[in-house]
Amino acid sequence: MSASRILAIARRIAQGFRRDERTLGLMFVVPILVTALLGWVLRDTKDTTVGVIVVNQAGEVGQRIYDALVTATTGAPDGVEVVSIADTVDAAKEQIRHDNGDIAIVIPATLLADVTSGTRPTFTVISKGTEPAADAQAFGKLQGVFASLARELVPAGANPPVIPQIKRETVYLTPEADQVDVLSPIFLGFFGYFFVFLLTGVSFLRERIGGTLERLLATPVTRGEIVLGYSLGFGIFATIQVIVLTLFILNSVDVPAIGPLPPFSIGLGVDSAGSPFLAFLIALLLSIGAVNLGIFLSTFARTELQVIQFIPLVIVPQGLLGGILFPTAQLPDVLNTIAHALPLTYAVEGLREVMLKGSDLSSTVVQTDLAVLAGIALFFVVLASGTIKREVA
Amino acid sequence: MPDPTGMPMTPPPTQAPAVEAIGLRKRFGAIQAVDGIDFALSPGRIYGLLGPNGSGKTTLIRLLTGLARATGGEARILGTKMPSRKALGTIGYMPQSGAIYPELSVAENLGFFARLEGHADRASIDRVLELVELGERKGTPALNLSGGMRRRLSLACTLVHEPKVLFLDEPTVGVDPALRVQFWTHFRRLAAAGTTILVASHVMDEADRCDELLFVRGGKVIGRGSGAELRQRAGTDNLEAAFLVLSGLDPEGNPIQATSGSGAIL
Repeated sequence: MSASRILAIARRIAQGFRRDERTLGLMFVVPILVTALLGWVLRDTKDTTVGVIVVNQAGEVGQRIYDALVTATTGAPDGVEVVSIADTVDAAKEQIRHDNGDIAIVIPATLLADVTSGTRPTFTVISKGTEPAADAQAFGKLQGVFASLARELVPAGANPPVIPQIKRETVYLTPEADQVDVLSPIFLGFFGYFFVFLLTGVSFLRERIGGTLERLLATPVTRGEIVLGYSLGFGIFATIQVIVLTLFILNSVDVPAIGPLPPFSIGLGVDSAGSPFLAFLIALLLSIGAVNLGIFLSTFARTELQVIQFIPLVIVPQGLLGGILFPTAQLPDVLNTIAHALPLTYAVEGLREVMLKGSDLSSTVVQTDLAVLAGIALFFVVLASGTIKREVA
Repeated sequence: MPDPTGMPMTPPPTQAPAVEAIGLRKRFGAIQAVDGIDFALSPGRIYGLLGPNGSGKTTLIRLLTGLARATGGEARILGTKMPSRKALGTIGYMPQSGAIYPELSVAENLGFFARLEGHADRASIDRVLELVELGERKGTPALNLSGGMRRRLSLACTLVHEPKVLFLDEPTVGVDPALRVQFWTHFRRLAAAGTTILVASHVMDEADRCDELLFVRGGKVIGRGSGAELRQRAGTDNLEAAFLVLSGLDPEGNPIQATSGSGAIL
């Protein structure tokens, strides 16, 4: 073994890096950027106030609880504030549906009788159900407020203090919905976006470095034709990908035990509350944007490796800010603004609306998301056309 | 005068030029890649663009085909000022790099470029396949072809739409001698049918097959004429030496003192 040969190889690598400023930048600057972004999101995520709707079915006793709750939460000292009182459970659900409150608590009609007879009363807590983590956080805060209230409200002589039972209900999905149910819209948007971007970026880079783009540009083909041809070509595969992914997420096929293999199921079997076609349309618009983003960014890469190095720049911020890990409303203001310039944010929102809440085209949220995604796709088409350099249009 | 393939060379022209460069310039930052080139190329003739690597040949072709914007002067193809999409339909460009799709078969590559040019008929494809002798490799992915075969496929993609003006950047690199002769026979046939061909090369051994040569160095044309004329002007018996002399060097490549007159031959 020769130390000089080992050193020669190491030196060759260092020399290569020295001349490859882009890789150096991506190696040292991007991890800092991504880590800083993650730190920012984690540290400065806003602790939003949980808006509570009270449904009083217990008459005067309930009113006392309501009044005490309002007094205790005015100004949201514990991050909880009573926002309204509703007459019925349905009215409370409707308010949550319209984002007029995050969580509703139903004070049961049997409260007084239960407490007097020593039975644990059952309070029903209603949350949205589309974001289990946010729901759990809201529920925890509400429990804290109730624990301190209980000491004041419990009738004298009740010993030990009556601890109410909690029954959970959700506006969307069911309280038993697991992470897979909730995350399935994100799978559809994120993986479609990610793979299409990568595939197009690498393919178009090969056009650029292989000389075929130059040959194409010496024919009467227009830049628009190239970009639209690419969008259509990759769009077909993106469509198939989205169809396969949608089918896999929404269906489940049970396979019985075969020999030593235990029974298993293929597919996630998630129930989409809304139209799978609408979900598909959202994912498709996102993919068309990804095709053209790939074409655009291929301009800035010289090798396939460099396209892959764009992943932390393109994919990670969208993953962090797109409403996947943290609700966009809780992001610091600057990051919230950035999040609303990213296509994945709209796709995740739209897919959640459709698949979890069952919204259709009449929903303004879905309409906005579709319009913005189409706008972003168009913007990337124009951007991609601009990177195909030729002196004729 | 017969060329080495035995076919008669095209007589000097009288028609309107097929390709014109008028004070053509291109600058990349501090580098003047093309430095005021003027010429007119006549229809039906083969021109050789000769010069060392980095002399500006490829940039000149990119300016003529409208792939790059000139920083000065203008280029015209068949009388149309470039860049013009209309004129692009009349030209064929074979880039220096392979410029074919490795994952596509021979026929698929040809079919693709033919469709872009609006010549997707089977006869056009079969004609060029026969020319480059790849008929039996129709279904082979370009990835599995030898280097020479890929060059042949690249040429076929350039010829499939029967262009009026051909720009060939190092077309015979990696092509074996027998096939090279066939290439040139075909180029000569195309020229006889009226096609104007500009062949860029840094090897001199093919130069005598051209009707006329343009020696390029430092972004300028330093000599123009037939091979015989250029040798005679430089007072040497081979083109390589003629190129060096016209570049202001002696036949060994050393600078000549007091090079009066050198570089003035155009």
